[in-house]
Amino acid sequence: MTRTRRMLTLGTAMALCGWAAVGAAGAEEVTIGLATGQTGGLAPFDQPSLAGFRMAMDEINAKGGLGGKYIVTLDIKDTRSDTGATVQAAQELVAEGVKFLITPCDADPSIAAGQISQAAQIPTMTFCGTTPTITDAVGDYMFGSYPADNGQATLLAQHAIAKGYKSAYVLKSPDSAYTLRLPEYFAEVFQKLGGTVAGEGTYSLGQQDFAAEVTKIAALDPQPDVIMTAAYEPDFPAFLKALRGAGVTAPILGSDGIDSPTTTGLGDIANGIVHTTAGFPTDGSPLGEFYAKYEAVTGAAPETVYVATGYEIPYILDAAVTAAGTMDGPALRDALANLENVPVLTGSVTYKGTNRMPLRAITLVEIQGGARAPIETATPDPALVPAP
Amino acid sequence: MEFFLQQLLNAVSLGGIYALLALGLAVVFSIVALINFAHGELMTVAGYVLFVCILYAVPLPIAVVAAIGAAAVAAAATERLAFRPMRRADPTSLMLTSFAVSAILKVLFQNGISARPKPVPLPPELSGTLTFGPVRLGTVPLASILVTCLSLAALTLFLKRTVMGKAMRAAAEDFQVLRLMGIRANRVIAAAFALSGMLAGISAALWVAQRGSVDPLMGFVPVLKAFVASVIGGLGSLSGAVAGGFALGIAEVLFQAYLPEAALPFRDAFVLGVVILILLWRPDGLIPAKTGRRS
Repeated sequence: MTRTRRMLTLGTAMALCGWAAVGAAGAEEVTIGLATGQTGGLAPFDQPSLAGFRMAMDEINAKGGLGGKYIVTLDIKDTRSDTGATVQAAQELVAEGVKFLITPCDADPSIAAGQISQAAQIPTMTFCGTTPTITDAVGDYMFGSYPADNGQATLLAQHAIAKGYKSAYVLKSPDSAYTLRLPEYFAEVFQKLGGTVAGEGTYSLGQQDFAAEVTKIAALDPQPDVIMTAAYEPDFPAFLKALRGAGVTAPILGSDGIDSPTTTGLGDIANGIVHTTAGFPTDGSPLGEFYAKYEAVTGAAPETVYVATGYEIPYILDAAVTAAGTMDGPALRDALANLENVPVLTGSVTYKGTNRMPLRAITLVEIQGGARAPIETATPDPALVPAP
Repeated sequence: MEFFLQQLLNAVSLGGIYALLALGLAVVFSIVALINFAHGELMTVAGYVLFVCILYAVPLPIAVVAAIGAAAVAAAATERLAFRPMRRADPTSLMLTSFAVSAILKVLFQNGISARPKPVPLPPELSGTLTFGPVRLGTVPLASILVTCLSLAALTLFLKRTVMGKAMRAAAEDFQVLRLMGIRANRVIAAAFALSGMLAGISAALWVAQRGSVDPLMGFVPVLKAFVASVIGGLGSLSGAVAGGFALGIAEVLFQAYLPEAALPFRDAFVLGVVILILLWRPDGLIPAKTGRRS
C-alpha cells in the first residue's frame, strides 16, 4: 500500500514536472533518429557531419526548438558503416517513433534505411550522400542535402570548356557510385558542350598502384588536354604522383573528395589542380564565420567542410517545420519538397522543382603553392545537369 | 617494347611491396600458425608515427627509423597482450583474435586520433623521376625495389647467421623439438612478432610515401594483398611469400596494362582467377613450407 502510494506520488510529481516544462516553453518534445557510421569506412564523413549537426541542433533547441515549438532529443546509433546494421538501426528508430531520420553519407545504406522510413512516412535525409539516384530509389520521403554528383560534374565540364580544353581523359572506378558516375556525368556534359573523350581508365579503390594505368596515359598520342577523375584518398595522391612521375603534364580536374589537407600537402605536383567543394571559407563569409565559431567552441578548426554541411541540415529542417507548422510526416515532406532559397552557410538550398536532391551552389577551387583559392561559386544550370 | 619494359618495371616495383607485406605475415605464420590480420594496423601505427615526426619536422631518416621501431614495438605488444594468452588455442581462434585486435585498433585510431586522413607530406625530392633509356621510374617505386632487395638480404642473413634466426627457422619446422633443445619459446615468438612488425613498418613507409596520408583504415588493402600473396606462395614459407608477392604484383600490372578497356573493371576477377589456377596446380602454394602445417 505504502509502496503504491509512493509510486503514485512520484509519478504525479514527475508528470507535473514534465507538464510544467512543456507548458513553460510551450514546446513539444520530439526525437530525431540518426543511423550513421560513426566507426568504420564512413566515419571520415559521418563523424564530422554529426559534429556540425549536433552543434546546430543545440542552438535551435536553445532558441525554442524546431519551428519555435519542437524541442529535439537526438537518438544517435552507430551503424559501424555496415548496411545491414544501418537497416537494423533504422528499424529501431522508426519503431521508437522518430519524426525525422538521418542516414549515412553513402548511397547503399541510405537507400536501404530510407525504404523503411518511407514505408513509415518519416521524412529522411542523407548526411552527405552525393549520388543523385538516392532519392528516386527510395521515394518521396527521401531527401539529399549535399551537392549532387551530376551538379559537381556539370560545373567541372563547364570550367573545362571555358578553359579551352577540347579532349579529356576520364579515370573512374566501378567500386563506388561516386567514383564511377561522377566522371561519367562529366563526360556526358563535356561532350554535350563540344568536348571529346580521348580515353577512359579504371582503377580499384584503395589499390594505390597506378603505374600500369599512367603508362597507358603517357602512351596516348596526342595527349589529352585535361584529365578528370573523382578519385579521392588514398587513390588520388597515388595517381597524381604516378602520373607526374610518368611525365604527363595535362591539368587535372577533381571532385569534392580531394578537399582535404592531404592534397595540398603533395607539394608542387598539386599546383593547378581544380576541384569542386561544397563551400570554401573566406573571411567575413557565413562559412568563414562558422569556421571561426566552431573553432571557438571546440578548440579546433573543422577538419573538413562536412562539419558545415552537417550543421546546415537542422536549419533546413527548421525552415520546413516553420512552413509546415507541424512535424507530421506528410506535411513535413511537402514543406521540405517546396523549400526555396533557404539561406545556409554555403549559399542557399532549393528543393522545389528538383527530385529532392537540392539545387545549391558549388564552389570551384584551384590549388597553388600548397593552398586553395576559390575560382568561382555557382549553382549548376538545371538545363545542363545530366539526368541521374 | 618500351611499353612492355615500362610495365615490367612497374610490375617488379609493385611485386616488391607485396613481397615485403607477405613476408611479414609469413614470419609469424611459420612459427605460431597465426594469420595475423592485424598486420595492416601495425602499418597504420607506423604511418601515424611518420605523421607525427613530419609534423614536428623530424628529419626523414630518423622518422622512418622511429616508424619501423614503433611498428615492431606494437607487434610485440599485441603478441604479449592478445596472442600469448591464446597460445594453446586452435588456429581458427587465433585468427579470430587477430580480427579482434585489428577491429579494436581501428576504432582506437578513429576515436582517439581522427576519422579523417592525416596528411604525411614528403620532401619534394621524393616525387622525382629517373630515366633509364626508354623507361622511367619514380623515386618511390625505385626505393621500393631497392628496399625490398635490401630487406630480403638482411632477413636472409638474420635467419641463416644468427642464433635467434636459426632458432626461428627451427621453430618453423618443429616447435616442440626446439623447446627440447632448451630454447625459450616466448623469446622466439616475441622475436618473430617484432620482426614481422619491422617488416610492416618498412612496407608502411613505402605505402604511405605513395598515398601521402595515413588514415585509421589504411591497413585493410595491404593485409588483403599480403594474405593472397602468401597463400599463392605457400602459407608459412618465407621464400614462398616472396614468390607469391611478385606473382601477384606482376599479374595485377599485366592485366591492368593489357586487358581490353571493356574488361578492365573486372581486372581483380582476372587476377583472382589466376590465383585459383595457381592453387589448382599447386594446392600448397608455389613454394610450400616444410612442415605442411595449415590453418
